[in-house]
Amino acid sequence: MDQENIIQPVAELNAVSKSFKTAGGHELKVLENIDLTVNQGELLALLGQSGSGKSTILRCLTGLVEPTSGRVLANGKTLDGVNKNASVVFQTFALYPWLTVEQNVAVGLMAHQIPRQERDTLVDKAIELIGLGNYHAAYPRELSGGMRQRVGIARALVSQPQLLCLDEAFSALDVLTAENLRQELISLWRSKENGLSSIFMVTHNIEEAVEMANRIVVVFPRPGRLGLVLENPLPYPRDTKSPEFQRLVSIIHDSITSQTLPDLPPEVPIVGQAISRSRSRMESIPFVPVGQILGLISILNDSPELSNIYDISDEIGKEFGDTISIVKAAEILELVDTPKQDVYLTELGRKFVNSDRIGRKAIFSEQVFKLRLFHIIIALLKENEEIDAEMVIKDIASALPYDNPEKIFQTMIAWGRYAGLMDINSKTNMVFVPEIESEDI
Amino acid sequence: MKSTSPQLSVNIEQRTFGWIDILLMSILLMVFWTVLHFGKGMLVHFDETVVLQIDSSPYQIPYYAGRTLLRMWIAFGFSLFFAIAVGYAAAKNKAARAVILPALDILQSVPVLGFLSATVVGFMALFPGSLLGVECAAIFAIFTGQVWNMAFGFYHSLVTIPNDMQEAATTYGLTPWQRFKTVELPASAHSLIWNSMMSFGGGWFFVAQSEAISVMNKDIKLPGLGSYMATAIDGADYSAAIWAVLAMIFLIVISDQLVWRTLLAWADKFKIELTESTTPPTSWVYEILKGAYVFTWIHERIFQPLGDYLFKFGSAIPSVQSSRFSQKHMKYFWHIILLIAFIWVADEIFSLLVEAIQIMHGALSLGLVLHILWLGFLTLLRVIAMTVLATLIWTPIGVWIGFQPKIARIAQPLAQIGASFPVNMTFPIVVGVFVAFNIPMNWGSIFLIAMGTQWYILFNVIAGAMAIPNDLKEAAQIYGLKNWNLWKTMILPAIFPFWVTGACTAAGGAWNASIVAELATWGDTTLKADGLGAYIADVTKSGDSPLIVLSIAIMSLFVVLMNKFLWRKLYAFAEKRFKLD
Repeated sequence: MDQENIIQPVAELNAVSKSFKTAGGHELKVLENIDLTVNQGELLALLGQSGSGKSTILRCLTGLVEPTSGRVLANGKTLDGVNKNASVVFQTFALYPWLTVEQNVAVGLMAHQIPRQERDTLVDKAIELIGLGNYHAAYPRELSGGMRQRVGIARALVSQPQLLCLDEAFSALDVLTAENLRQELISLWRSKENGLSSIFMVTHNIEEAVEMANRIVVVFPRPGRLGLVLENPLPYPRDTKSPEFQRLVSIIHDSITSQTLPDLPPEVPIVGQAISRSRSRMESIPFVPVGQILGLISILNDSPELSNIYDISDEIGKEFGDTISIVKAAEILELVDTPKQDVYLTELGRKFVNSDRIGRKAIFSEQVFKLRLFHIIIALLKENEEIDAEMVIKDIASALPYDNPEKIFQTMIAWGRYAGLMDINSKTNMVFVPEIESEDI
Repeated sequence: MKSTSPQLSVNIEQRTFGWIDILLMSILLMVFWTVLHFGKGMLVHFDETVVLQIDSSPYQIPYYAGRTLLRMWIAFGFSLFFAIAVGYAAAKNKAARAVILPALDILQSVPVLGFLSATVVGFMALFPGSLLGVECAAIFAIFTGQVWNMAFGFYHSLVTIPNDMQEAATTYGLTPWQRFKTVELPASAHSLIWNSMMSFGGGWFFVAQSEAISVMNKDIKLPGLGSYMATAIDGADYSAAIWAVLAMIFLIVISDQLVWRTLLAWADKFKIELTESTTPPTSWVYEILKGAYVFTWIHERIFQPLGDYLFKFGSAIPSVQSSRFSQKHMKYFWHIILLIAFIWVADEIFSLLVEAIQIMHGALSLGLVLHILWLGFLTLLRVIAMTVLATLIWTPIGVWIGFQPKIARIAQPLAQIGASFPVNMTFPIVVGVFVAFNIPMNWGSIFLIAMGTQWYILFNVIAGAMAIPNDLKEAAQIYGLKNWNLWKTMILPAIFPFWVTGACTAAGGAWNASIVAELATWGDTTLKADGLGAYIADVTKSGDSPLIVLSIAIMSLFVVLMNKFLWRKLYAFAEKRFKLD
């Protein structure tokens, strides 16, 4: 069975697309044309921001979710129902609070027809293996987060699955616990004992992916599609401080940055119209609150030496993906410029940060006004005193089919509110133009 | 790899039999014997022309109480089974859900007396010459007082099981049965037990009605506490009435302490949150039972070997591969079963409707319909008055109690007992007071309705006040919120969702209670209010089928409309604006 030199696919996605209905009933395309293969013996990491569809990819791969189109294969055969040779470790642990550690782990064997004694032995082995030796009879609520996730891992390993899937398995844990658990899992996988050979992990943490995986695939959002594929040949155990490690991290950083904040060629100005990159086409906006944009601008103003986007990410203590979103929002509003990996305040941004409250509001309003997306609402508000939010959401859905129209709408209202352009009455669910407040306040 | 975390002390289970096991075994044997003893009484010969005599001697009360208790538990057993089956079907199957949810909604609004009138003749025909038919009718009536709410509750807890728990069960390939016993039943256990406790409490309320059957021109008194009370009321026998009240309180408290508190304490581990409860429910019975070894023994010596044996037996038979083919067949099979069941139910309903229309045809005039609607309106006013008054009185008291955890721990169960206590047991006092002070029944009946239903408002308000997070209280203190400002800003919004639950339950119960409460009898004195409840009590007694159907339909209509246009709206509003999460 083990032909170690020949690459054997364990699970595959072939041209898989997936659409969901949002809470408001709009069709949302989450995945488009995904081709992905997990091979025997590899540790593959799927890296993406939140909302990029990476969890959906995991659910398609394990059969938890059926794709709208495309094929899912397990060991070369079309998958029917749930993949019985795969198991999943969940971000939220998904333990049953009414079962003891032992009973929770035994759930992993329920589908297998084995006698009780044999089952007990396997459960014991998995519990010992994952370092839960003294906790057989404890209930999950008596354990710390790290210990809970150990139970989750033991439950996933007890049936000796061909493929272990980790769905953001470490992101609900504190930094030290997560690091500890990662190391233990890597050494388990490397030792090849217990039959654990292939791991498919989904994460938003770039360093986690580089630390663990020997192949990394980056997924880009709206709709979810695969980007950079990277082999990671660094020897284990990996030193996160080493230059090779940092080089891989920065390759991924660059790829994400250039995809999200592309350096577009300057546009040809149209006579009689302001030059604005964002105005010429309908562009989505990142779901970022106004406060975070203001925070970014003032940090950039206070620390002129800060320009590299990774340094900014460290400085503001945000995930890289979140930082990118904030920068992108500021860029759309033309408050910053992003040549390559750098972020600079524009003239306008500098003027903005040095204005008083009213001045800032005026600039923000002007910039928001330039965004074509906002014209959906502004045009309607010109003709009507108030407009139904549902109608706006419907228009957004048809203009930006790959975005969640409810979330876009909420962000637009938040921006529009700050700009004084629009507001919503949450009782009637109607959008209206707020009265201009007296200037002397 | 070795864990570096501190050692956790795990309670080692007791491994030997102790005195508690001996006690437990003898109690179980006694219960078993008692059930057989009382059960025998259900099967005696019965002749409709001979009136069953109820002995008003207090020495007979234990026997009657036992019969009543047995009836309650049988009805509850059926309710539990039905609630789980129906709730499960509604949660799992879209087509079933489309039928079940509206059906439950309507059935819930039909007063218990309606079910009793509709079925008593049929049940008696089913077991001619035996008391079992009447027993069945009584049990069915109690069943209908409990089951709808439980089915709703079970459905709701099934659909709110966290998605990741379900997904984990799917990944590990659990069969539907394994999933049910490992995930779905435990996840719903807490809410199911809580709902059961409330419904069982509500069941007491109808015991008197369903034991002393005086519908369809019949006058049958099944041996039981309710009949004992009815006899005392007929004969204006004060001492018997007081004995009955005491016995009833004793039964309610005993059921609460021995069964429901125990189950609630046990079910605390089935809560879905992964945090430890700060004030877990306590039960002295549960504390004692925890020390018993007999359960472990039964599990290890009987269930496990049995499971192993079944396993060996099962693997000896060549297992049928559950291929896609056979799965599809199973699916068709179930679809056909469901379809047949559906057609049968539809046919039954249709023929009932046809029958109802035939009965009604020619028997009713528009004037009569308007008259009944008017009576319904009067009862509606009473229900509203009760809700408003009970809210005004019990909200401040409930909040005060809720802010003192020590008092709340005592007061909440007391309010539950109040809710279970049958209204007609208060008639001896009430009729006397009303007659003495010349209180017209049209107003007095509001008080009687409130006796049965106000408690729901009280204990929900208590629960709401207890649930206000401490930081909100502290913030109110720091900013010096006092009196009306404190109520307006913090207390009222925080308890509002709880109040809606309580008031909705109270109002729903009030319609049912009005049948008992608008017509109070004590010996020869009968006080009657103008209202739909008294009307239904009258027509069901005389067995006037067209009027029974019409008046009960109109009451159901009032309840359904009120739910749809008032309570649903309030629920949605509370959920949106005042949910503390």
